[in-house]
Amino acid sequence: MTATADRPAPVEPVASPGGEPGSIVGWLASTDHKRIGLLTLGTALVMMVVAGGLALTIRTQLAQPQLHVLTNDRYDQFFTIHGSLMIYMVMTPFAIGMGLYLVPLQIGAPNVAAPRTTMFSFWLYVTGAVVMLSGFFTDSGAADHGWYAYPPLATGRFTPGQGVDLWIVGVALTGLGMLIMAGTVLWTALLKRAPGVTMLRLPVFSWSVVASNLMVIGAFPSLLAAVGILAIGRVRPDLFTHNAWNIGYQDVFWFFGHPVVYVMFFPYVGAIAEVIATFAGRKFFGYKFFVVSQLLFAALSMSVWGHHMFTTGQSSNYYFSLTSIALVIPAGIEYFDLLATLVGGRLRFPTAMLFGLAFIPQFLIGGLTGIMAGTPALDYQIQDSYFLVAHWHYTLAAGSLFGLFAAVYFWFPKATGRMLREGLGKAHFWLWFVGTNLTFLPMFWLGFHGMPRRIPTYLPADGFTTENLISSIGAALLGLGAMVFIVNVAESLGRPRYAGADPWQGHTLEWATSSPPPTFNFSARYPIPPVHSYAPLLDLRREREQVRSAVE
Amino acid sequence: MPFRNVFDEALSVWAPIAAAVFFVVSVVLLGAIALNRVKRREKLPFEASKNTPVELGYVVVLGIIVGGLVFGSFLWNSRLHNGVGLAQAQVTTPAARINVTAYRWCWDFNYQAAPVHVTGQCTVGDFPTVVVPAGQPVEFNLTSDDVIHAFWLPDFAVKRDVMPDHVNTLRLVFPHEGRWRGRCSEFCGTHHVTMDFFVRVVSPEQYQQFLHSGGTAV
Repeated sequence: MTATADRPAPVEPVASPGGEPGSIVGWLASTDHKRIGLLTLGTALVMMVVAGGLALTIRTQLAQPQLHVLTNDRYDQFFTIHGSLMIYMVMTPFAIGMGLYLVPLQIGAPNVAAPRTTMFSFWLYVTGAVVMLSGFFTDSGAADHGWYAYPPLATGRFTPGQGVDLWIVGVALTGLGMLIMAGTVLWTALLKRAPGVTMLRLPVFSWSVVASNLMVIGAFPSLLAAVGILAIGRVRPDLFTHNAWNIGYQDVFWFFGHPVVYVMFFPYVGAIAEVIATFAGRKFFGYKFFVVSQLLFAALSMSVWGHHMFTTGQSSNYYFSLTSIALVIPAGIEYFDLLATLVGGRLRFPTAMLFGLAFIPQFLIGGLTGIMAGTPALDYQIQDSYFLVAHWHYTLAAGSLFGLFAAVYFWFPKATGRMLREGLGKAHFWLWFVGTNLTFLPMFWLGFHGMPRRIPTYLPADGFTTENLISSIGAALLGLGAMVFIVNVAESLGRPRYAGADPWQGHTLEWATSSPPPTFNFSARYPIPPVHSYAPLLDLRREREQVRSAVE
Repeated sequence: MPFRNVFDEALSVWAPIAAAVFFVVSVVLLGAIALNRVKRREKLPFEASKNTPVELGYVVVLGIIVGGLVFGSFLWNSRLHNGVGLAQAQVTTPAARINVTAYRWCWDFNYQAAPVHVTGQCTVGDFPTVVVPAGQPVEFNLTSDDVIHAFWLPDFAVKRDVMPDHVNTLRLVFPHEGRWRGRCSEFCGTHHVTMDFFVRVVSPEQYQQFLHSGGTAV
């Protein structure tokens, strides 16, 4: 595990596409999937810090009844931009960006397909993020209609400020960027694989990216349509005096809005599958079932959007309840495979593994309460209450965000050539493990007892005080954990401890090349090893062990 | 209160299943970690990477569980919309039929049976109180003057969106006399937080008095 060399692995001098490698132009005009990928991932992490700051301010205001850290309108802007950033600018771009960085390496390709187009998609994303945030500098402030921007509230009549216009443009640019980036990564995975890497030897993570990006192709055009409809409503608000357009917007939006939930889930569960298999020292269990379940999951995800609309009285309760609960089957298979990989493994517990293990019970809470939300009789109580806030924060924060950090701790040495500090990593993990559950568990209770979402304050007589205070204390721990993580990254970059090519005894092709990999990923010095399964490096290690024992 | 009853029944079936699943997964997870710490550290990990019959059998089990959950969901949904006391309300005229109009940021209640109109400012001390009879079907016809709101009675586990250019009909039976708080739960702008109302449930006789007095004496 600690194959930590004391100097950087030599990277072969190869002509770099687009500018001097070290220069700013070399980064910003790069056509190397690793650089575009790191730019995307880095931007998403910066956006996460901004969104986290907004969340901490929200939790400060809610810590006690009748606090007024923010005015009502400013509070509305904060929760709108917190949600919009986390969904459009953090979890989605990070998921797709991980695929961009890792898929070409895992399949032995020298680069992503259509690299210039991919670079363009990154610029669309960054521009979108900047445009959305620039709303804070307008007179009326940033958008304040919530992350799904229901009309008529989001029309020019009821929310006239420029913040909403900027929000629409920002979401459209980023949405288009993500659609393009997912497309080129999918193209790469399907058509740029090295000889020997058949579809059924694709690593589990790469398969999760394939399934996820298929959903992006299916769902994101619907997002562009939805914000297009909203843009019309900015200048012609009369459109939304008709019910057909209001409910139509919700249908079009959630046709995007539900699949995107799984876009923010698949690559992270794929990453956790790799982390758990690696640190259990065995092949991921039930590969084919896992692959089929992901494809089934992706297909079903396109037919469940109406469960966001049970309370409108204009959705089909029976149909959408059936499709939503059917998601238990693919999700159940994925859980079985994750657990079966653990049982009987020879486990190691670095930080990445801890985040991966905590994901399992925490995401499960989000999944189980999701079945409740898919049952109309229960949904009539929990919809738009804090129970729902708790539910999706268990899927996205306690779930996917833990997957995100598992991935960061796992692949940071590959991407930078440097190890993160384990001590700081474990401090980060424990702060987040305690903080996440303190923050979000009390919200289930609050929702059941009548606290609606998106309220800027509450009264002492409401009886929400204790639970909100616990939640805010948990949020403070999350903020502290995030700071430990930032210190960890700075420490590792400033005072490097060099990682070898394969610090974890990985299973997949990216661990066969240097850290960081050379420009075209593999070279004469780091050739692509033979691939006979979805864990080629594990196969090689086993063969070598057999040869060694035969010689002895 | 059928909504609350159906909700409680659904929850009483669902919660033990969820707790059992969470328990099993946690035990397997912690068991794998504990076993590893005690025994497996020096041993080689298992070689097996698949077991098709076991997984197929497991898929069948999952299918049965999904079947049960879907059956429950359908059953409860059907009871909510056609349950005891409500089926009657579909054919006979409900005792109270009230047009509810939401607007930024308060509520209007208009009784169809008499010229009675209840509203307020939704500020402290001025929240509208809608009066309904106990034990008889009550029908709310919900619509909005501006943006989308939602009519939520947390104590009765019932919620419906209140949308412009559309009427959602909600039929309820309130079994006991009392006073409960209702809230807007769909975000609607600056004063969303104070958009509350009260439901006051009185005896049918008192309700008739209320109507005949034009909405004053209760």
